[in-house]
Amino acid sequence: MKKDVAVLGAGMTLFRRRLKETGKELSYLAAKQAMEEAGIQKDEIDMVVMGTAPDAFDGIHMKGENLLDGAAGANKPYVRVFNGGGTGVFAPIAGWWHVASGVADVCLVVCEEKMGSCYPHPQTAFRHIWDPILDRPLNPNLVWLFAMEMNRYMTVHNIKKEDIARIAVKNKRNAVGHPCAQLADPNITVDDVLNSEVMAWPVQRLDISPPSDGAAAIVYCSKDVVGKYTDDPIYVGGVGWNIDSTMWTNRDLYFPRYVALAAKMCYKMAGIHNPTKDIDFAEPYDPFDYKEAHHTEGLLLCKKGEAPLLTKEGVTARDGDLPICPSGGLLGVGNPIAATMGQKVCELYWQLAGKAGKRQIPGDPRVGVGQAWGDIMQMATVIALRRG
Amino acid sequence: MRMAEKKYEGYPKEAPGTHLRTSDIREKKVSYTWWEPEVQYAWSVGHAMSEFLKGLKQGKILGIHCKRCKRVITPPRSFCEYCYGPTDEWIELPDTGIIETYSISYLDPNANRIEEPILIGVIDIDGADEHHGFMHYFGEMSKDEIKIGMKVKAVWKPENEREGAITDIKYFKPLRGGE
Amino acid sequence: MTFGEKQTDPTAPTHWRGNMQADYLYPNGAAGDKFFQHLKNNDSFLACTCKKCNKTFCPPRLYCEDCFEEIPDNAWKEVSTTGTVRLFTIANLDAHGEKLENPKVMALIDIENTDGAILGTIDLVDLNKDYSGLKVRAVLRPLGQREGTIKDIIHWELV
Repeated sequence: MKKDVAVLGAGMTLFRRRLKETGKELSYLAAKQAMEEAGIQKDEIDMVVMGTAPDAFDGIHMKGENLLDGAAGANKPYVRVFNGGGTGVFAPIAGWWHVASGVADVCLVVCEEKMGSCYPHPQTAFRHIWDPILDRPLNPNLVWLFAMEMNRYMTVHNIKKEDIARIAVKNKRNAVGHPCAQLADPNITVDDVLNSEVMAWPVQRLDISPPSDGAAAIVYCSKDVVGKYTDDPIYVGGVGWNIDSTMWTNRDLYFPRYVALAAKMCYKMAGIHNPTKDIDFAEPYDPFDYKEAHHTEGLLLCKKGEAPLLTKEGVTARDGDLPICPSGGLLGVGNPIAATMGQKVCELYWQLAGKAGKRQIPGDPRVGVGQAWGDIMQMATVIALRRG
Repeated sequence: MRMAEKKYEGYPKEAPGTHLRTSDIREKKVSYTWWEPEVQYAWSVGHAMSEFLKGLKQGKILGIHCKRCKRVITPPRSFCEYCYGPTDEWIELPDTGIIETYSISYLDPNANRIEEPILIGVIDIDGADEHHGFMHYFGEMSKDEIKIGMKVKAVWKPENEREGAITDIKYFKPLRGGE
Repeated sequence: MTFGEKQTDPTAPTHWRGNMQADYLYPNGAAGDKFFQHLKNNDSFLACTCKKCNKTFCPPRLYCEDCFEEIPDNAWKEVSTTGTVRLFTIANLDAHGEKLENPKVMALIDIENTDGAILGTIDLVDLNKDYSGLKVRAVLRPLGQREGTIKDIIHWELV
């Protein structure tokens, strides 16, 4: 019998291109914040899960082991999970396994990334994701990969660039209410995005989220013990994950079928039968503006090709019918790969608990969905949180 | 030493962490440690890729057939990842195809800005199943001409310069009528 | 039929060579920066003590990993660059497995008046000596030539 899993607290550090603190120190700062909100001490934590993406960013081999003492992991059952960009939602899913299975009553999940250590730019580490025989000899730049997916998506659905640029504007403006935000901008316009430098057409500079350093944390507990900590618990409603083949040149990239499969798995568990009606807000992964649209369709929140229209019509604004990325997303707050758990899961919790301050969605949100995406356009991880 | 002095209304209540600017590093306001690791690799190519690379050296693009899924796959592999069985016969494919997707890049491989863009994309190879192909450069066409669905043909290096690598093809050019 | 085929061509490619090239700039951290900036300008180490369990860390930390409490600024103190050898080994091969011209003595040195230890080399090489328990002092780069990294400690000498 799976146990119900509640979220007790969350924490996040500042997100910036480079932070002074080491990975361990960042993990500590986020974990401590989450534990203080939850009202728990280190000895009440049964198990710890660390989510952190490639060792090559921090530049420390076996960095899961290196980070553990900053994540309260010393002398505890501890595991590090990783699937590239999907880690930000996969680590909380792995934390959920620990509590839902009954082996832990209280589990701490910490996600950390220090992309700033890779010099001069984390691009150098990203280069090694390509197949060494078929792709690397062509010296590809990672931006090319996303440009090709964006081009395919826009061409198949005949989407105009300004409809996608509008998403970047929405998120960077939403981020103004976020203390940790790296790129919040209350005045940015669609023209600013369209006039920004072309990196690899159709991708322009303001379409992309920045690389960042940062950490985030979340504390789970089992329903059996939740009464000790709170009377208004926020529960994990469902989890789902799915991955597609590495042979990305053998897939039609216009629709992320792996996101749909992960979403279906999550919605089935959560009892979400009609996503557009049952889900109140969502945090799909938005490392690029077109990705928010791509993933919104993958999450079955609208028909294929329609997501940019939702933003055009104001549906996805914080006060719209289906707020998307009310945190400001990766485009506004920053992209420290795994630590984006801060926007994709911690935000769901803070919104449902009514604690999101300036970013709070009006009305009475009861169900929120977060999603992350990783590797070579392969991994999808989806989580649904509900109030009560 | 708590970094976060400012408290916010709503959560997160603080954003601990110290921003490190490039100027802080350049002016040595903070101490740091520098490391240049050296890691060399010799990756096993595997049997299927070995044949594919051999084919490239001979000026051929090879595909492989999965008889259960009834699909012709390129780049070839030893097992089909969908039905999870071993793949079957080798098939020589034409060196033509259509553009599946592309990008016009003003960044070179080291992320430096360039004036003349690089044209890169994915080519669906003729004879293989739909959406089956590989990534390569495009040449002999301008950024205004390139489009999804354009028919293209491989331009090979001269035989004595080929080494059994994906770069034995220099780029794909437009297949204009009569070729 | 790749699995069933015989490999009869000795010239068929078997390997693809390459490297993983990346450079790293590791900021020493909130606690580390304080330690190394101090070492840059002084001939002493900094250490800090957890108020809850009284463990004294050297090199110092932002937090105590056992109590998971932050260690405040007023719990930091200066200690001398002396210590005792806890463990040692004589190394004959370098990091790439090549024979060293002269063997090196690698040691883990417990720093005096702290619960911490630092790894280093001892400058006197005697293949028959038992270094365990011997007192050592850090030999630092001259002031003005220090960079703020662990290499500011050149090696350790016996006292």
